[in-house]
Amino acid sequence: MFKSRFISILLVFFFSTSPSFAASDSTKQVFKFYCAQCHGDTGTGDGVNVTEDFATEPRNFTSGKEMSKLSDADIKNVIMDGGPSASKSALMPPWGKTLTDAQADELVAYLRELCNCKGAE
Amino acid sequence: MKLYALLLSVTALFFSYSVFAAAAPADGEKLFNSNGCQSCHYTAGPAKEKTIADQLAKKGPELWYAGSKFQAPWLTAWLQDPQPIRPLAYNSLVDKNPGNHSKLAAADASQIAEFLMSLTSADVEAGVIKPKKNPKGRLIFNKKMPCGGCHQYPGRKGKIMGGMSGPSLLHAKQRLNPDWIYAYMLNPKTFKPIKMMPVFAGILSEKDMKSVSAYVANFD
Repeated sequence: MFKSRFISILLVFFFSTSPSFAASDSTKQVFKFYCAQCHGDTGTGDGVNVTEDFATEPRNFTSGKEMSKLSDADIKNVIMDGGPSASKSALMPPWGKTLTDAQADELVAYLRELCNCKGAE
Repeated sequence: MKLYALLLSVTALFFSYSVFAAAAPADGEKLFNSNGCQSCHYTAGPAKEKTIADQLAKKGPELWYAGSKFQAPWLTAWLQDPQPIRPLAYNSLVDKNPGNHSKLAAADASQIAEFLMSLTSADVEAGVIKPKKNPKGRLIFNKKMPCGGCHQYPGRKGKIMGGMSGPSLLHAKQRLNPDWIYAYMLNPKTFKPIKMMPVFAGILSEKDMKSVSAYVANFD
């Protein structure tokens, strides 16, 4: 009993002092920082970069109809490897060297909140 | 005797030059601080940002490697007539760049530019990139990793093309050190650990990054 409590305290101490945990950004913040520039602050696909020169319409994450066609794995794949990995526009760049795997998973979950939908199996 | 006098003169000249060369950036640094520039731009590296919040707390770009990033004539002129480089306000996706950067008199601009140009990074190797319009660079810039999605760039017939969230690449030829563009692509986290631009190192080959750097460095 004492031993397991001691280990728990040690774990809490370790994770609370580890820089990677202490320095983590919230998923919403990650979305607003990286994704909103094209997908818009609320994910409706109307980011500030969508000018007349922008050759595609960024995905509207609030569209349950469109988002439910994609599996979670599809979305994560596009986030990490870019649009062309799913035959979509190269204007969606690969974020695989920018975001961590965990951040990408959290973003997928956040997008599911925005569309209020489940992914295709 | 004549030889002795000559040696003495040369030595004196050398030391006076060294003192002058060392003093000039220091004078510029004093001016930089007295003008309040330090309140928006930090000048001591390495990069400090660890989180998005750190980046968003900054009021302006870091300048600790300004001497490796900019070209001195451009910087001196820009400090006297600062036209916006970013379409949007720093760290904003909503507000237009107000274009209200402080303007300096020619003498002050020259000294501050001298100070800023003394701030260099060992991670920028000189003489690697020569500005050049090249098909491979154009292909990467326009198609493979369309940089114009976020950055303004010169289109045909003087048209300004491109997105709004990144700094404009118009006049990169005059503004940026071509070697810095490549160093930044190769090792972006050294300069900007937290930034809205994806990391392309490890995705694009070094050869591709050199081609696109040379292409961007040629933008008027």
